[in-house]
Amino acid sequence: MSRTGDIRSGLHAPEGERGQYRGPKPRKDWAADWVPNNEGTVRSLPIYVGGASLLAVLFNRAVSGIAPVADASSSQSRADLLTLGLAVTNILTGLVWLSIRPKSISVVKPEGVECRRIQSGLPELVVSELLWVWESLSTVTCCRSLVIIYDSICIMQIGVAAKSSAEDGGAVAVNPVKLMQGTLYQGIKKSKAQNYLANLSLYPGRSELPFLPANTQAVILQPLGDNGIAVIGGDTIRGFTTSDQTWIAYIGEKLDVTLAKHAGEISVLTQESVQRSNS
Amino acid sequence: MSLTSLSFSFSSSPIPVKAPTKIRFQYKRSGRTVSVSALMDDSQSNGQQPGQLNLSVLRFTLGIPGFDESYLPRYIGYGFGSLLLLNHFVGSDLSAITPAQLRTEALGLSLAAFSAVLPYLGKFLPGTAIVNQASLPAGNEQLFIMSEGMPEALREQLAWSTYVLLRNTNTIAALVSVGGELCVRGYWSTPDDISRADLVDWFNKQIQNIGLPDLKDALYFPVNSGNEFQTLLPKGTRSLLILPLLRVSNSSTGKLKLSKGLVLLASSMTYAYSDKDRAWIEAIANQFRG
Repeated sequence: MSRTGDIRSGLHAPEGERGQYRGPKPRKDWAADWVPNNEGTVRSLPIYVGGASLLAVLFNRAVSGIAPVADASSSQSRADLLTLGLAVTNILTGLVWLSIRPKSISVVKPEGVECRRIQSGLPELVVSELLWVWESLSTVTCCRSLVIIYDSICIMQIGVAAKSSAEDGGAVAVNPVKLMQGTLYQGIKKSKAQNYLANLSLYPGRSELPFLPANTQAVILQPLGDNGIAVIGGDTIRGFTTSDQTWIAYIGEKLDVTLAKHAGEISVLTQESVQRSNS
Repeated sequence: MSLTSLSFSFSSSPIPVKAPTKIRFQYKRSGRTVSVSALMDDSQSNGQQPGQLNLSVLRFTLGIPGFDESYLPRYIGYGFGSLLLLNHFVGSDLSAITPAQLRTEALGLSLAAFSAVLPYLGKFLPGTAIVNQASLPAGNEQLFIMSEGMPEALREQLAWSTYVLLRNTNTIAALVSVGGELCVRGYWSTPDDISRADLVDWFNKQIQNIGLPDLKDALYFPVNSGNEFQTLLPKGTRSLLILPLLRVSNSSTGKLKLSKGLVLLASSMTYAYSDKDRAWIEAIANQFRG
């Protein structure tokens, strides 16, 4: 980087002048760190505290005896009642916390082969965006397989795919035309909305996705405009949260814009693949 | 209000969402009879796992809109604690207080303090979603500015990224800077005497003053962002997240991590960005890292 630097690059410190970040550093938040790590203890803590206090109040009352004087006992009784009320509140809170413990669902490792097939002939920009989508999804969500189909060709098949029974043992190829004629694609084409199959084993449409590993747990079908679909396979039942779904919807829109912009080049590829399959 | 009779419905809010699943409960009562209905979004299993108590009947609501039931222990703690003090000073004969009463009161007051702390601890438990929406504090105005002369592709990427960050997270103000090009979007409070054309330079100067370009690690301030950021950030900012965009370059002295830019997000909520949110924000920032 030259000393004069870029006029607009107000953010680059010129070489030789490595500044220090002068702002504040965040405080260590012990509660935010400690509570999620000791979830079980924290959830049952109010119950123990409340229960122990309940017993303590009764014990205290029994040990000190109920005083014969009416005034003394009544204010004692009031204090006892208030403390009992607090103890019961704690117990109930503890029970509520226990009841809303999210069920932990185990991850199922997808059975298949790693594959990374990207349609050749795509512009550099499109390829880098597709790879960015894969990186984001596989890092942040439980996605383990990703297939993108646009304009009747399979643009990308990446992640874990079902192993084909052919001798070379490669991944099962995607048949975009068959997929686009199937009920799953027709359904989302009509609704123009994302379809989340949270537990894939319950859906008969499973047979239309032979290229995904057999034990894929959840699938999101995201339409890409009017011409495409992204099939996102995950390794946990209900593994995609609502937040994930929204992000995927937005990313789908962005991908559609990018692919539509380069639709000309993609349609050339479509014609080539149609010619190849006809010949 | 009877705790043994209640019903709740599990609903997730439609797109766009800013928080993980909102849980809503309803207390239905028809005439004198009370109906018990528990709807669970649990198509997989027909009940609890063996050995797990079905405690869902204990979830209740008072049905007051805007009132968050998870803060109830705190209010009860304050209320009962003050009643205890009242009972001590007013309701009892101060000269004749028995040790037993003092013991009970001490226990009661510590329980009240513990109850007041409970909602704070409960906030960090996975599964408790406190229904808090990011509110727009007063004193800010909507802004959308970009540096001049940016390549078209970068322009679109920045516009989309800031849009998605504002829509999908609890952010009220977003600033993304890549290689000197700035994009600022959301609700900011800028000095009135600066014209729109000079705003980009103003933001750049503010960032330089704090030394943000030299940041090497991500910073997350869940509660308070500190005084140094006061001029830059919109009024009423509680959480702040800053992600530097670093790239590794080989120089004569070895590999250097140079700052290519940064992503700065401000929110009016505390603890606005969960781990999942931050992972997604990191993914969005990765677009610009390459």
